[in-house]
Amino acid sequence: MNRTTAGGTSAAAPTVPAAPTAVRSAVRPAGHAVLRAGRASFLVHRRAAVVATLLAVLLTVAVVAYLCVGESFVSPVQAVDVLLGRPSPDTFVVGTLRLPRLVVGLLAGAAFGVAGALVQTVARNPLASPDVIGVTHGAGAATVAAMSFGLVSHTSLPYVSVGGGLGAALLVYAFAWRRGLNASRFVLVGIGVSIALGSLTQLFLTKGDFLVAQQAKVWLTGSLNSRGYDQAAPLGLVLLVAVPAALWAARAQRGASFDDDTAVALGIRLDRLRLGLTVLGVVLASVATGATGPVDFVALLAPQIARRLTRTAQIPLLSSALTGALVVVVADLLARRLFSPVELPVGVLTAAVGAPYLMWLIARTRGRSGGSTS
Amino acid sequence: MARPTRSRIAWLIGCAALLLLAVLLSLAVGSRQIAPSEVVQALLHGGTSNDAEVVRSLRVPRTVVGVLAGAALAVAGAVMQGLTRNPIAEPGILGVSQGASAGVVCAIAFFGVHTLGGYVWFAFAGAALAAVAVYAVAAGGHRGASPVKLALAGAAMNAFLASVVSGIATTDARALDEFRFWQVGSISGRGTDVIERIWPFVAAGLLLAALMARGLDALALGDDAARALGHDVARLRVLGAVGATVLTGAAVAAVGPIAFTGLAVPHIARALVGSAHRWVLPVAALLGPVMILFSDVLGRIVFPPSEVPVAVTTALLGVPFLIALVRRRTVAAA
Repeated sequence: MNRTTAGGTSAAAPTVPAAPTAVRSAVRPAGHAVLRAGRASFLVHRRAAVVATLLAVLLTVAVVAYLCVGESFVSPVQAVDVLLGRPSPDTFVVGTLRLPRLVVGLLAGAAFGVAGALVQTVARNPLASPDVIGVTHGAGAATVAAMSFGLVSHTSLPYVSVGGGLGAALLVYAFAWRRGLNASRFVLVGIGVSIALGSLTQLFLTKGDFLVAQQAKVWLTGSLNSRGYDQAAPLGLVLLVAVPAALWAARAQRGASFDDDTAVALGIRLDRLRLGLTVLGVVLASVATGATGPVDFVALLAPQIARRLTRTAQIPLLSSALTGALVVVVADLLARRLFSPVELPVGVLTAAVGAPYLMWLIARTRGRSGGSTS
Repeated sequence: MARPTRSRIAWLIGCAALLLLAVLLSLAVGSRQIAPSEVVQALLHGGTSNDAEVVRSLRVPRTVVGVLAGAALAVAGAVMQGLTRNPIAEPGILGVSQGASAGVVCAIAFFGVHTLGGYVWFAFAGAALAAVAVYAVAAGGHRGASPVKLALAGAAMNAFLASVVSGIATTDARALDEFRFWQVGSISGRGTDVIERIWPFVAAGLLLAALMARGLDALALGDDAARALGHDVARLRVLGAVGATVLTGAAVAAVGPIAFTGLAVPHIARALVGSAHRWVLPVAALLGPVMILFSDVLGRIVFPPSEVPVAVTTALLGVPFLIALVRRRTVAAA
């Protein structure tokens, strides 16, 4: 039973004590350092910590670049000045035009990254990202319906999209459940439901008036254009609430990554754990979708990149969040500048990169991708 | 699964009758209700009444396009399922339709091709490229193309091409205006010129598929068995792929991407007449148009006076079918 998924061949499971050749390694798993703070002590995966630090540095560079590059170039010094609230001639360009958009991108990217990591952990399959299992399409269909029929005010759109995402996930779960959950069935049903929701979205698009349809269409490709603090606020709030949940999730992930028999033998309540992780992932993905529209494949890419970098057995949550944010910020920077003056929606770029990557993953999987998870 | 020939012939006749009913409904039902007797009258004796005009100039072309596209998509689906030995192979799910439509969009945006006769070739090219890419991706790795890998590769291809199309749409407003109505997948507003352009391709594709019926039967037993029965497996695959591509490309060029007809219809056909392709293919060719026309009629009557594009209706009807199929043990376990 090869559970290490694609590429993670060298990932030595750090939770399992290494071979008892060295006494020291039984006490401290290979590759880990112990952090002590008073009476508390934590095991930190050394490589993961280094990777996370590097990612944070890269992200900072990307953020500064994002604020500087555009129609008009702003020097990094000026940009930092604006960030720190000092008076500057570039306050409008940097502080009013670029910064809100950047904040939405950062938050959404992080949310997508964590969401993908959680869902992939539960499904034990790199292919089962929120994009594939219908969450983003559900959020999309609900939002477009609300927009075209003018059901709710603009500010409550994020809640609608969360409802849509959760509803779609629930639907997929219900349809895929048949004396247990099978990963392949889950993915196939997810694809089917996604297609149905996609065509429902098309239907709603034809129902609303033209202007709304135009707006909805831009939203549907996943764009950061004209996104600001209105969208960032609910997203930030949810992320804040999700931090303690994520701490729990990081622990729970270990339990979920064992094979079923081992987990049950260890006394882990698998069903409850999976449900919790999935709900958290789905909520994060749908809130992010509500803010930016479906930025395709970030949730698929980010955890996989992060995991290849850290080489841990579990998908690292912090690094996934950082990678997600990095991917979105860089992609949006490229989307703004690549065909300037025309601006691409960021979702076009992430899909153009992410879809071939998904194909590559598929081409490399052994025939029995996934298998039964319950 | 040997079934008496008599019952198969009965099913064939039943399906033909159903098709006739669907055609009649498609001619009679719409924002302007026309009695079936009037329809027949208008078809046989002409006449210059408003009803006769509506039937002849609007509904007849629409219905014929629906019949051609339905037959093409259903047979393409049956051939794909036979070739890949995979129950969920279908032009829409595998991204072949999206490939064809991306080809058309490229033709409009980059090559300045604005006529159906011109861009049908781009549709073929796009469909062929997408089909080859998806199959190559899914068949890579150890155990070849399992349903889940095929579907995922198709989903990835769909997402990729959709992003390409929307990238073009955002950068080229003129092209967007030309293809945005076509891209939804609808059989309304297609005139006789569309029919004249695509029927030779559909006919050629159907003929090719019909010639392959025995080969597909042999292929169902596995490559080795097919070879032992004296079939050239490689040639069979190539010919089948060409046939399916031509059928899909022609249908998409005419009506835009329509999913799920190619999935549901062959399965229904197999349930009716067994798995022998010399029976499945004609029944699919009859039932494909039935599905398209019924979906189209349904789309005309749910939200009058506006219409629901046929692709939306077929997807909503077809997805429960896919789910039922997936819930059967054999698909997911593979």
